Amino acid sequence: MTTINRSTAPSPTAPRPYHFPHITRKTLPNGLRMLVAENHNAPLVSLRALVRSGADHDTAQTAGLASLTADLLDEGAGGRDAIRLAEDVGILGGALGTGADWDASYVSLDVLSRNFEPSSAIFGEVTVRPTLPPDGLERARAERLTEILQQRDEPAAIAGKRFANLLYGTGAYGNSVIGNADSVSRLTIDDVRRFYRQHYLPNNSAVVVSGDVDSAGALERIEALLGTWEPGPQPPRPNVSHHPVDASRIYVIDRPQAVQSEIRVGHIGVARSSEDYFALSVMNAIFGGVFNSRINLNLRERHGYTYGARSQFAFRRQPGPFVIAAPVRNEVTRESVSEMIAELRRIRTGDIVDGELDDTKNYLMGVFPATVQTASDIASRLLDMELYGLPEDYFDRYRENIAAVTKDEIARVARKYLDPDRVLIVIVGNASQIREPLGTLGIPIHDLDIDGNRLAVG
Amino acid sequence: MLTLEQYTLPNGLKVTLNEDHSAPLVAVNLWYHVGSKNERPGRTGFAHLFEHMLFSGSEHVGNNEHFRYVQSVGGVLNGTTFFDRTNYFETLPSNYLALGLWLESDRLGFFLPALTKEKLDIQREVVKEERRQRYDNVPYGTAFERLLRLAYPSDYPYHWPTIGSMEDLGAASLDDIREFFATWYRLDNCTLTLVGDFAAAEAKTLVEQYFGDLPSGGSFPPFTARRTPLGRENRETFASHVQLPRLYRLYHLPKMGEPDWVHADLLTTILATDKASRLDRALVHEKQIAQDVATYVLPTEATGILMLQATAREGVQIEEIEAAIDEEIARVSLDGITEDELTRAKNRAEIEFAHQIETFDARADLLGMMSTYFGDPMKIDRWLDPYRAASAEDLAHVARKYLIPENRVTSLFVPERG
Repeated sequence: MTTINRSTAPSPTAPRPYHFPHITRKTLPNGLRMLVAENHNAPLVSLRALVRSGADHDTAQTAGLASLTADLLDEGAGGRDAIRLAEDVGILGGALGTGADWDASYVSLDVLSRNFEPSSAIFGEVTVRPTLPPDGLERARAERLTEILQQRDEPAAIAGKRFANLLYGTGAYGNSVIGNADSVSRLTIDDVRRFYRQHYLPNNSAVVVSGDVDSAGALERIEALLGTWEPGPQPPRPNVSHHPVDASRIYVIDRPQAVQSEIRVGHIGVARSSEDYFALSVMNAIFGGVFNSRINLNLRERHGYTYGARSQFAFRRQPGPFVIAAPVRNEVTRESVSEMIAELRRIRTGDIVDGELDDTKNYLMGVFPATVQTASDIASRLLDMELYGLPEDYFDRYRENIAAVTKDEIARVARKYLDPDRVLIVIVGNASQIREPLGTLGIPIHDLDIDGNRLAVG
Repeated sequence: MLTLEQYTLPNGLKVTLNEDHSAPLVAVNLWYHVGSKNERPGRTGFAHLFEHMLFSGSEHVGNNEHFRYVQSVGGVLNGTTFFDRTNYFETLPSNYLALGLWLESDRLGFFLPALTKEKLDIQREVVKEERRQRYDNVPYGTAFERLLRLAYPSDYPYHWPTIGSMEDLGAASLDDIREFFATWYRLDNCTLTLVGDFAAAEAKTLVEQYFGDLPSGGSFPPFTARRTPLGRENRETFASHVQLPRLYRLYHLPKMGEPDWVHADLLTTILATDKASRLDRALVHEKQIAQDVATYVLPTEATGILMLQATAREGVQIEEIEAAIDEEIARVSLDGITEDELTRAKNRAEIEFAHQIETFDARADLLGMMSTYFGDPMKIDRWLDPYRAASAEDLAHVARKYLIPENRVTSLFVPERG
């Protein structure tokens, strides 16, 4: 047997090429854009409809409307009631989903490819001929109000909501996508039907088919199902505005039984369309985006404060937040906040070392094929292209765009987009244990109740 | 049919190869046949704590370097621990297969020289934070732990969850680590599975180079614990910081893979998956007394587990939820299920299986499971057969035989007053 040298990592062999599946595109006369990516690795098909309107259209009064409308799509469509829909999808070996996020609303169907034909008909009806029944709204409303109630138990949900609310107020991005108890209680079936009419339009939508289908056949099929969908006036894009933060502040939401503090530290981020997207992606991966990032190595592997710490830019159509998040044990809450702010200061100095930069860029470039193994993964990438208007060669040029990011650029975007002196710090935790130590950070502390009301300092 | 090859090295390592060139990736997956059921009282949580230690370096791989080596070439990786097994896995660009084998063989063959008290102390804290994050600081977080305590006597090792207790995590010592490693982390207690873009002959040579000269151990302790049937229902009501009452149940089943376990798997689909399933339709859609219901079987090796849970809507008493669930189970026991329901459940099993073998990593993990629990990775090609052969009567039989009070435990979470 040949002995091997165990003392150093073995060299790679020649890399094997990777190609993102070919995308076939077509736009129908009614404005509906269609994208198909064939991939015959598994007998599965993913169908997706994207409506380019989401909870960004909700106002303080109608918070939750976009997602409730999406919830109602499978409460009946094309002559089937909710139960019949579920039965018919089930008999075809399918899984039907509907939902909304800040930027868009979605219908999804994953199905065995041998049943693509009949299941695509159901997909079409749910998308363009939903019943939107009043009793369905009452069911969805009761479920939604309960969900909102349940979130009052969940420290991560409370922290996320309060952070968004402090940054954006009660407008878009500041409420929860699912709304609040007041708004959800008031929404009517007319609101739902109006939202559907104004936004679910072929000229505001795209359909993606990915997986074990024939491209030409899939395009024909979608055209036959959705070609008669009536277009309408393009809905105007809502404005998203945020509250400027003039100086750092700590907001403590007391949870007396807490054995960990849910910490969020951050401020406004950038839109998906930013010209600095690639530099920011590399910078954030180094800072807190992957397991071996600075934030996680510091808080988890060096200090043992947490099971995991992360940072993220929420790249949305308009600037989403930049947030560092970690749950840590009560005793090290102050230290954790302090380390997060110190890491923000440090990366702004531009102290990126070669190994760190190369490792991170190689990760981002190399990991792509592993993240698009399934028909559903590929469909998600196509939806992103459509939603954010990415160029047609986006995935082909992704590697070179990441490869081009330099140390100087990382320092530049860190200084431009990270501001350690103006952060919102939201902590859901055991106030009696964490408040006093936090006082030594020299940052003003405000106490909020779970709904965000200011409490007098006790 | 998958292109599979299976063999065993002279030192006992079981190897499964599945060549697939549809993407330039390779999944490297190791299943060690040891989990929390091999722990002893006083050292609960140890198998999982040990898993964390195996990421903290070995003789030729520095602390945190395992993650760095894999991520810096575009790989993804992790490890998990459960009652019966611990798995470690990475998905790499296929030209880095040797890197994966080097890393895995180093921590199996050369782990102890790099072990330090400092590393143990850090990972002990990390695991305690994991316990706080997943169990102690979230609503209903301790439900599974409470059910296990009700379901098994204290000397049966499914009595405690894989995460273990804070006290026991605090007590784990370096000597415990050395002993556990020597006992369980051996070639003949491991299955290595490779799925992806490689030539089998070359992969075999690499496996031989990296694992062939590692020694096999002596013999390890057989698992002999037997579960004593309860004979009656164990119940509790637990007041905690939750907004809404929730019912949790555990039903005993035969172990994973037995015909009744497969039939129970199908039955849980009929009971709770989509709006047309029995419990969803009755409790959530029609009566609107429950927020959600869920039921599923767990992939356990020593004895089988069926979980069931339901959350009450505001103002609904948990007793009403429990009565409605029992009424639906009784309907299945008495009247059986329809052919239509059976077909939908079989389709669901088929699509879930198709999703599981769609990615190299999930497929490798499934092959590792087949090899570890059933001694035969080829079983993957026959996995759906008993699902396809199931009859409506088979499922009704499961309801009558297992979904009965004397075969279950119940924990009712209710809001604390005041």
